[in-house]
Amino acid sequence: MEQKFKIEIKNGSTSDTVHFHGNIDSHADSHFEELGRKISKKMVVFDFSSVGRINSMGIALLLRSIKSLKTEQDAQISIQGANQINAMLFKMTGIYLLAPEAKRL
Amino acid sequence: MIGILQKKYQKETINMFSLSKHGRVICSPTPPASCSEFHEIHEWPVRSSEDKEEIIGRVERLIEGGDTSHEFLRQRAALMADEMLENALYCAPRDTHGRQIYAKGEKRSLSPGEEIVLRCAFDGEKLFLEVSDSWGRLSPETVQGYIAINLAHNTSADRAGRGLFFMWKFMKDFYVNFAPGLKTSVGGYLLLNPDSYEYGAI
Repeated sequence: MEQKFKIEIKNGSTSDTVHFHGNIDSHADSHFEELGRKISKKMVVFDFSSVGRINSMGIALLLRSIKSLKTEQDAQISIQGANQINAMLFKMTGIYLLAPEAKRL
Repeated sequence: MIGILQKKYQKETINMFSLSKHGRVICSPTPPASCSEFHEIHEWPVRSSEDKEEIIGRVERLIEGGDTSHEFLRQRAALMADEMLENALYCAPRDTHGRQIYAKGEKRSLSPGEEIVLRCAFDGEKLFLEVSDSWGRLSPETVQGYIAINLAHNTSADRAGRGLFFMWKFMKDFYVNFAPGLKTSVGGYLLLNPDSYEYGAI
């Protein structure tokens, strides 16, 4: 069953955590447009633990969003919670070069 | 003229090709992968973009099993079906100038005479997946070009053919079979327990 895509942002004391929910594809486009305005910290964590499928359009949206946050807001982004296939896609497409896996405590 | 061409292409398969590990086109007279060895073959026609999630769900439900291997196969199968159906729904339809007719994400029903069919089969170890459309647009040069672009390791966001690149990377015996202007079939296998060397990302 298709999960409705949404983005939740939790503002912490030192970092903002962006929780993605559902599948990331062309339908997620409009949600990404607002993302930059909601981020206030330099340290940003993208959390994919509630994400299902990410297709090639979703990868393009993530790349665009990560680049935009890095260049326009000088943010340092890290990634956590990606499942096996999504982690493979991040490696294949260079997403991990821009936003490495968050270090586990 | 079109009738003659259609009869010709119905009789003989042309432009069957697969791709080597390095992205080179390998022409072959028969598909490297085939569903004929499976007992049960599922064939699901697509009538609109709204059918996509339902069909992906059916593919996932074919793969029964709660362990990590089955879960990983379900993840790969869902991604492959998604990319194949997106290509058939949005990338294949072109106007007379070769421009894409429908934007990705747009709701659309199939035009009269247009056909998209997903075929799949699973024997417990191997999942066969194939999507056919009635546009016949995917030439060897196009596919090779997309693979080459995506093999260049940089992080360009708007890169054409990324979905095809994923198919080539993940599927065993990935192939394209096309009759220009009439039909394209894209397919291959996914293995329950793949060898790691098949996946450049592992």
